[in-house]
Amino acid sequence: MDFTARKRKSSKPTIPNHNSLFSHDLNMYNVPPTGETTLEEFETLAIERLQLLRILEQANCKGNKLFSEDWKKCVKEDLTKLELRKFIRLLNGLDGQTELDINARKADHLSHYILRLAYCRSEELRRWFINRELEWFRLRFMFQNQNTLSRFLESNKLIYAPITDEQKDEIYNELVMSTANMSDVSVRTTNFFKVPFQEVCSLVKNRKIFIKLGFAYIPTNELIVCVQAKFRASLSEALNVASHRLPSLDDERINTFLMNLNNSYTGKDYSSVNSDKKDIDPADLDSYSKKHYPLCMRHIHETLRTAHHLKHFCRLQYGLFLKGIGLTLEDALQFWREEFTKLMDHDKFEKQYAYNVKHSYGKIGSMINYSPFNCIKIITDSVGPGEHHGCPFRNWDATLVKQKMLDHGVSTEGIDTILDLVKNRHFQIACTKYFEYTHSLQAPSTTINHPNQYFEESVNIIGEKKKIS
Amino acid sequence: MAFNEEHLADFLPLYYKRLFPHSLFYQWLSYGDQVMFSKREISFTLFGDVYIRHQSFGTHEDFVRELHKKFPVKIDIGAIYTIPPRGKMSGKALTPIQKELVFDIDMTDYDDVRICCSGADVCCKCWKFMVIACKVMDATLREDFGFNNILWVFSGRRGIHCWVADQNARFLGDDVRSSVAEYIQVIRGGISIKKVYLPGDNIHHSVMRSLAIIDKYFVQSIVIDQDILGKERLNNFLTIIDQDLRGTFKDALEKHESSEERWKAFETTYTDLLQKGQIPRNLRNMKEEIKLQYCYPRLDIHVSKGMNHLLKAPFCVHPKSGKISIPFNPKFVDTFDPAKVPTVILLEEEINEYDAKTKTMTDNADGCLMKIKDYKKTSLLKSVVVFEQFIRSIEKDMKSKENCDMMEIM
Ligand code: SF4
Ligand SMILES: [Zn+2]
Repeated sequence: MDFTARKRKSSKPTIPNHNSLFSHDLNMYNVPPTGETTLEEFETLAIERLQLLRILEQANCKGNKLFSEDWKKCVKEDLTKLELRKFIRLLNGLDGQTELDINARKADHLSHYILRLAYCRSEELRRWFINRELEWFRLRFMFQNQNTLSRFLESNKLIYAPITDEQKDEIYNELVMSTANMSDVSVRTTNFFKVPFQEVCSLVKNRKIFIKLGFAYIPTNELIVCVQAKFRASLSEALNVASHRLPSLDDERINTFLMNLNNSYTGKDYSSVNSDKKDIDPADLDSYSKKHYPLCMRHIHETLRTAHHLKHFCRLQYGLFLKGIGLTLEDALQFWREEFTKLMDHDKFEKQYAYNVKHSYGKIGSMINYSPFNCIKIITDSVGPGEHHGCPFRNWDATLVKQKMLDHGVSTEGIDTILDLVKNRHFQIACTKYFEYTHSLQAPSTTINHPNQYFEESVNIIGEKKKIS
Repeated sequence: MAFNEEHLADFLPLYYKRLFPHSLFYQWLSYGDQVMFSKREISFTLFGDVYIRHQSFGTHEDFVRELHKKFPVKIDIGAIYTIPPRGKMSGKALTPIQKELVFDIDMTDYDDVRICCSGADVCCKCWKFMVIACKVMDATLREDFGFNNILWVFSGRRGIHCWVADQNARFLGDDVRSSVAEYIQVIRGGISIKKVYLPGDNIHHSVMRSLAIIDKYFVQSIVIDQDILGKERLNNFLTIIDQDLRGTFKDALEKHESSEERWKAFETTYTDLLQKGQIPRNLRNMKEEIKLQYCYPRLDIHVSKGMNHLLKAPFCVHPKSGKISIPFNPKFVDTFDPAKVPTVILLEEEINEYDAKTKTMTDNADGCLMKIKDYKKTSLLKSVVVFEQFIRSIEKDMKSKENCDMMEIM
């Protein structure tokens, strides 16, 4: 990404005519930042923006309708709680030009670019990032007034010319029939803009506008959809390009920091067996799998019990999870051996499989202590035919998810909610809901982002209940 | 001779060697660029349900060689990727860059409204659902979205597939594909009884056009042939109607016997209530809603949404029916008869018959042999011509686009 290249050369800033680039609360982020920044500032900015994006995500999870007043309020409250003042400033709608304003916008700009470096790395990450950034864009958009808005559009060369009166007369009837929420009179008086239908997907999808030969005719108040689509397109393009030539910075620390950024949901990596966890008895795994496992692990466990075999990635995903919940190496070996030797002889097991188990405990080979996979990793893994790893919410078709939900006692209302989330690709939120519906409606402390988190929270909740009763 | 699944193995070699239009197939899927073809996912299903994924073929010859070696029971077409899918490293995801926009309509999704057949069966009566679907979607794709290069294919048994190959359709991202599919999908999924809602005062022009198409068929093909208001089905119909109005309609409809009369009674009652202002505002389009619910196209929307989704290729042999998944011209879909779609057996008979005839002729004419393509000897000819026209129109579009680009440069 240009940002890094320039940073290395640390050339003099060329473009930033600060007056235009930082004079609006909104930014299309078309101009990469220049100049230098300290490592600390870099990291702080990254974490702050990540917090911002998570707040947006959480606001959706809490069941607020996107962009509704409640949603706005919720985001603002959370920003205040975390004292993210810079971002709050961008929502005041005052269009200020003080130094504080300019600095807030600079931080917004720079932090956006830093997260691009971390989130360009896989399709799933890109999708998540784009969606959150769009929400942030739209949120700021909503605080604009007619003046600031046209100033912003103009300075970004987003110029839309309305169709002429003659053109409008020709399609007047169709416009009246097909433009949502608009009376004959307002169709007369409103300006309409002709844009390629790809730019206004959300309006196309809901049949809210008139489309003819690939062009959509949208009224003024829907222009936001267009601007947003432009923003999405340029961001998604930029991320794609970045993913092909993965940015690698000179500084090792920054590299690792970026690589781990998207994982730092909780800061926990569940990689050690000992710590505060007490040992797990392999004999309890069957009952644990029913009570405390997330769907991905439960499915693998049940498959293993019936098929007595698992393919490589599946063993890896499950093996590391087991390590994370506290199964010792000895017990793990015992567990796998018992199941596998139902189909093969001991010799073969020792030769082909025992090694892998030891390896994943860091006892052999490179001696790395591998961490259990988090949800993003599991969700983004590709799953081939005959393989059982990956995230069920992502990989299974709706009927199968539904069937399992029914089997596991989720109410029909719960199933609808979950399937809806899955449809919108909110796999982790779906998993969180699944947790709720299988734990007497008790929610985990945050969205599920790690199967081991799921397990621990489940054990805690159910453990507590036992104590009470 | 009737087709039997066990015969398939005997017929496929002949079919792939002499009839399958692999040159056209290659022309289509390469869009004038062999490199594109080599990055296209084309997967085979072999005998015994062996499914080979992530296949791709370097050249036309490679493709033909594999066809003649494997004789696939089914061919599926996927996207063009950044690298040939065959060279995919395990564990790494492939990135699709283009694929036709596709639609899949399956008759089984109509099982709750058709009475003549169920499951895999199809007859002329229920085929009308496909006729309506094809016409409605063809008009929408052309008039609303401006697409021109559209191929309609009989799926081989009981449904239809649609391939949109316009340049700008092929490069649409998944989100745009979803919105196009959802724009077309008027019917709501799920288990709710009422599946269509048109709450506004106005009905969208696209839906109006669809209704105009449906009106040509509704009374005869739906009300009468599918007997939607017949004895056992009247109740179903009434449950779609809002509770507060249901009684009124029930009384009016039960005065009559046949579906046709009952539909007339529904219409008069509806107009009557409307004039008296007794239909609430949000239910004013209920007549249209009902018509759409009964026969508007029911898409399998997932097939359309993802660029990397595979869809069965045209000119495959259906393993159960032996029928070829042939392209057809949507203008003549009214006269398309699924029962008359050629089977591999028929095609072989036709070739043999033809060869026998010409053999006696050429014997007489001193063996001056005219080489003629095998498919031209059979009833496959018509479908190959449709396919060819589709490919020509793509070529024409690409040429004129090139010219435009040239103009811009100059
Ligand atoms: S969201 Fe995470 S924990 Fe839940 S099923 Fe998917 S991968 Fe497993
Ligand atoms: Zn039938």
